[in-house]
Amino acid sequence: MRNDLRDAAVVEVRSRIVAACIQQAALPDGLPLDVLINETLYFERKRLTADKTSPTWAADLAFWDDVKSRLSRAGEAEMRRLLERIVDRFVGEIVGNFNPWVYSMATRVLPKGLPMLLNAISPKRLLTEGGLPDIGDTIRIQGQVGALRRSQERGTVILTPTHVSNLDSPVIGWMLYAAGLPPFTYGAGLNLFSNPMIAFFMRNLGAYRVDRMKQAPLYKDVLKEYATVSMELGQSNLFFPAGTRVRSGEVEQHLKLGLMSSGLRAYIQNLRSGKAKPNVYVVPVNLNYHLVLEAETLIEEHLRKLGKSRYIITDDESSRPRKVYEFLRALVNLDGKITVTVGDPIDPFGNAVDEEGESLDPRGRRVDIRRYVQDRDGTYGQLPQRDRVYTTECGEAVARAFRSNNVVLTTNLVAFAMFQHLKAVNPEMDLYRLLRTGGDGAGVEMGLLADRVRRIAEAARKLSDQGRIRMDETVAGGQPTAIIADALKHFGTYHATPVLARHGDRVFAEDMNLLLYYQNRLVGYRFEQVVAEPRGGAARSEEEAA
Amino acid sequence: MPQRGSSQTATVLGGGSWGTALAHVLGCHGYDTMLWMRDDEVVREINEQHTNRTYHGDRHIHEKVRATSNLAQAAGHAEVILVVVPSKAVREVAFELGDHVTGDQILISATKGLEAARLTRMSEVLREETCVRKVGALSGPNLAAEVLAEQPSACVVASRFEEVIEKAERMLAGPRFRIYGNFDVVGVEIAGALKNIIAIAAGVSHGLGFGANTLAMLMTRGLAEISRFGEALGAEPMTFLGLAGVGDLIATCTSELSRNHTVGRRLAQGLKLADIQKEMHMVAEGVFTTQAAHQHARRLGVDMPICEGVYKALFEGAAIESVLQNLMARASRYENSYSPIGEPATVTGSILDYATAIASREGNGREGAAKVARNGEAVS
Repeated sequence: MRNDLRDAAVVEVRSRIVAACIQQAALPDGLPLDVLINETLYFERKRLTADKTSPTWAADLAFWDDVKSRLSRAGEAEMRRLLERIVDRFVGEIVGNFNPWVYSMATRVLPKGLPMLLNAISPKRLLTEGGLPDIGDTIRIQGQVGALRRSQERGTVILTPTHVSNLDSPVIGWMLYAAGLPPFTYGAGLNLFSNPMIAFFMRNLGAYRVDRMKQAPLYKDVLKEYATVSMELGQSNLFFPAGTRVRSGEVEQHLKLGLMSSGLRAYIQNLRSGKAKPNVYVVPVNLNYHLVLEAETLIEEHLRKLGKSRYIITDDESSRPRKVYEFLRALVNLDGKITVTVGDPIDPFGNAVDEEGESLDPRGRRVDIRRYVQDRDGTYGQLPQRDRVYTTECGEAVARAFRSNNVVLTTNLVAFAMFQHLKAVNPEMDLYRLLRTGGDGAGVEMGLLADRVRRIAEAARKLSDQGRIRMDETVAGGQPTAIIADALKHFGTYHATPVLARHGDRVFAEDMNLLLYYQNRLVGYRFEQVVAEPRGGAARSEEEAA
Repeated sequence: MPQRGSSQTATVLGGGSWGTALAHVLGCHGYDTMLWMRDDEVVREINEQHTNRTYHGDRHIHEKVRATSNLAQAAGHAEVILVVVPSKAVREVAFELGDHVTGDQILISATKGLEAARLTRMSEVLREETCVRKVGALSGPNLAAEVLAEQPSACVVASRFEEVIEKAERMLAGPRFRIYGNFDVVGVEIAGALKNIIAIAAGVSHGLGFGANTLAMLMTRGLAEISRFGEALGAEPMTFLGLAGVGDLIATCTSELSRNHTVGRRLAQGLKLADIQKEMHMVAEGVFTTQAAHQHARRLGVDMPICEGVYKALFEGAAIESVLQNLMARASRYENSYSPIGEPATVTGSILDYATAIASREGNGREGAAKVARNGEAVS
């Protein structure tokens, strides 16, 4: 966000939050200020006791100790001052240090800077090793880029991408640059700032910091209000509705709506203040990778979580520069692409939007969406329960878009065929046993795998004709052997153990966890049924194709 | 539209038995109510004589109810619109309505039924055909004639939106009519639609001369399968114990007036569906619902023996006796877990205990061992 806007946002957020706290405290069933402060104090002290690794640990502790000692003998006025100080501290942390010089520099050097950022290694190394691949070529952008640009001109945009990797935000950054759009404001987890190179750029390309360890409701309110205010100031926002990277590899369907609700709030505020361009557009974006940088860590955590022990990843492949470097090398050498699919813009209620940015009802008739938030006497207002449902429905529309803009890549398809085959021939095994043993270990004969791959590719084509999924070129080509060859090529490079390997006439699963991870991207389309048909079922699939 | 949103207006679409009764209730509560229907003759009858003889004989309909055949006028008349047209007509009417409504309005479906192809609920149809988001469903044990006669009764209004429930409550709740709210729209609408299948079965039981035991068994086990079906679609099981579930089931299965009940009685007399339809001039809602449930139960992996039985009797010409025999010959089961009696329960804690339990079961040795293997905890 621009410097002056950022200052304005900080002031606005502080005054809104403090005013709201005081206002609700005055209500008969409101939370008195001392209780509110105590609650925040409780959550913060709990956090500080549990985790002492934060670089600001000592300063935080001193701050909250001070709050505690003042709170015990604070009068009404002192209580307000305390509240202001707490809110100030939260806002300050979220906004972070901002260096206008770096901002302008970074904006100018974007074309060079982003590939560098993608590489996430030291500039020195870049210079000495030289010959670094042009990452721009590796990112393929498709879909409604024009509509995205128009939405940005007509109002404020919330970009909601799928989230699989820490590379997602730089990739989105590149997409915005390539589309000729300014950087978007977005909240990034504190752990992302642990790679100094990524941190440097993120902070200066509109990122604000989100500390997931902070559980105090007041902190979350401040965070949400900051996003709302930034949108009211016309800043487009980037926000990953999955909350964190999807561990299982599936296309996310259960979305966190926190910041999506900020979009609706900003829209209502815009109507109230009579803004010339009040509209807010939500634009879903799908990111598809042949290989995922952090796949090993992610699927491991997913399985661990299934087995009930939960923890937050603070260190993974993306914080290890060499790993990132190897990953990108593999990708570029293989002529692989990261696919960015920009979806159709929708309004904050989940309605489709036409060429001119006007909302449409399900039958394509124009809708005056201001009416959704209008009172009987024609004024615009927030109504928390109603607005939550609106946001839920908007989230459902985003989830549908995620599904239909998902791109079937060779790696996903072949992993799916292989995994489903292993499952089918080992019906007595539960998931864990299957993962542990890899089935009977006999692999699958190439011809059989090709048959499965062909069936799924056919089913995918049918869905794609109905606009319910997308395919990359190789999959669209429909040649099972070409699809398998492409997948094996990818699987054999980056991961420590190749996911799949061919020995003679058979293909073997070498890493079951990763196989599960890559196949999960195609869960939810009922492709399982296509594979599960007995071999004699070929007749039926031909009949279906006809 | 100066009237719109003024607190004392309401619109009801559909001049059938239930639509007229609801309009009357609103009129009694002081609402200027507009009742829309296609038939101009009935419009005139209601406006001039305040009766709707097709459905309610000479019973007086409140003066505050004005009928119209102009949909635009009806749609613009009030903030809250109740949709009470037959389930087969809801989509068409809703599409037309889509030209006249705006996003601040509320649509509540009081029609019970489903679209078979995608199992679309009526409130979903309203959502799919208009720009209106604030949709809801009204359901429960409400025989129109009894409501019109101002006998005490109650219904459920379900919506994702508190606002919809609150406004419906304000308009409909009165000394003779209680309103309950529910956020589980899926459960309320599924219960309201599927209970008609059980009503057919109840009619069969009555027609065969069976008494209270059989009826109670059909209703209870019928509710269990409706509830399983609903859960598979995302409904909350508790909803089925409410007015839209148990409540409506009792009213429908014990009243001999319902068309579904009649279909059942005729089946018991050995008539086939085609003959029954000829005789009734009108298809009972439960016939369509049976078809829909049959189509989707397999896909959803839900066991619905009673619905299947009704389906076989209606569409496959199965003899009632054999359907009944098959139902009674089904494996005995535990009531809560639904697992068959005599098959060893899965013991998750100890493989040894499990194996011992199977081994000690007379004549079950081989079958049991196979089951162990299937569960992946093989003891070889």
